[in-house]
Amino acid sequence: MIIDAHLHVDDIPSLGWKLAASDCVRRLDEAGIEKGVVMTIVDAPEVNPGALELVAEACAAFPGRLEAFARIHPWYGDESVALLERAISELGFKGLKLHPVTTIAHPAGEDTLRLIRAAAAHRAPTLFHCGDEPLTTPLAIARAAEACPEATIVLGHMGGYFHVDEAIEAAERHGNLVLETSAMPYPAKIREAVERLGAERVLYASDGPACSPRIEVEKVRLAGLDPEAERKVLGENAARLLEAVR
Amino acid sequence: MIVDSLVFAADGLVAALDGAGIDRAVVCPPRARGHGYDVENDRVAALVASHPERLVGFARVDPLAPGAAAEAERARGLGLAGLFLHPWEDAFRVADPAVDAVLDERPVVVATGYPWVSEGLQVAELARRHPETTFVATNGAQINISGLGQDDAFLALESCPNLLVQTSGVYREDFLEGVVARFGPERLLYASAFPRFDPRLELLRVRWAPGLGEAERAAILGGNAAALLGLSGAAAA
Repeated sequence: MIIDAHLHVDDIPSLGWKLAASDCVRRLDEAGIEKGVVMTIVDAPEVNPGALELVAEACAAFPGRLEAFARIHPWYGDESVALLERAISELGFKGLKLHPVTTIAHPAGEDTLRLIRAAAAHRAPTLFHCGDEPLTTPLAIARAAEACPEATIVLGHMGGYFHVDEAIEAAERHGNLVLETSAMPYPAKIREAVERLGAERVLYASDGPACSPRIEVEKVRLAGLDPEAERKVLGENAARLLEAVR
Repeated sequence: MIVDSLVFAADGLVAALDGAGIDRAVVCPPRARGHGYDVENDRVAALVASHPERLVGFARVDPLAPGAAAEAERARGLGLAGLFLHPWEDAFRVADPAVDAVLDERPVVVATGYPWVSEGLQVAELARRHPETTFVATNGAQINISGLGQDDAFLALESCPNLLVQTSGVYREDFLEGVVARFGPERLLYASAFPRFDPRLELLRVRWAPGLGEAERAAILGGNAAALLGLSGAAAA
């Protein structure tokens, strides 16, 4: 079973991005993918107070196909934590997603650590956008991994274009970091990550539907992993993370 | 005919082209270390001479280095058919007035999307100063894994009819399809930037993009580059 650990549903008129749940499912179908994890582009409670409901409704429209991660803005203290609790306990969300470029919140800032710890209390992972921009680099997120050893922290895009080596190095130092392959353009780095970290710590994802889940699966296959490692990367690892959430 | 509009002179180049089914490629010098670009340009000319049916060579210069314009001209005598500029690796701002002196009528590939020195709109500034020259921006004129470079790339294309963009490393299909829808397929060129990216993956970005028609795909994969370089399909066969 293939699971895509990172897709988006949202409507961002200012950028011309309209990403519907039906687009996600259509693209999963094109690629032969059973299940996808969806999240918004912006955060609750700001700039979209209805972000959790948007994702919950997307998942409800496609039973068994979509799981939810909650994008929560860390600035809102108790309100942010309450939103995360509601997402996981009431709405069945499976994780927290943070994009520090959109929230201007450092990964190792106290507000963010509080959210990561609240997710970890449910054994829910935190997926960070991890690329080349300030506030999102592997070394910045590694500080959060160090401060929250009980949390599973996923480096989405595994460092982007220029920080992939540092993502692998950070994951070697912090056993609670997991690398996620979406959009990162180097198949050979997936193989290197598996060899250095173990196949259990690398997750397939696409960042779809504007990116191609089918191409992103082929990217993993171009890494030339052995069949067992490929199965783990393409689905078994994500299944394990999703099933652990309480 | 599939034309890779940017590869670098590196070990395994021809085998990589063979493995991906690429007919021809524009080969550029990698960063010079410990010597000037005259050495690298000579190496590219020799590589092209050993695979004349496969490779077209472009010359690389550091515009701030003494004698850069003379080296660009010397490379013409070597048969190098265009220029390659890498503002990030060679540490210059792409719109610096010093760049003007190395340009001529040959097409120019610019390593684009690098912060502070070769952002899409900075490359557009250079292109606007040289409307008779064709500029080709690598990486879809952006490097941003949040997709936040797309709007500047579109603005650059909109303001400069003499600016084309390459597909290398562009993971967003909506951007590639948006370039074709807004500006026509002739503004987009397949490139792998081998060995930086893997040609087997980079080809899929064009081949599997659901919003492209077959004629558009053919233009992006080779026809546009062939037209830019004056190649003919017969010559490749």
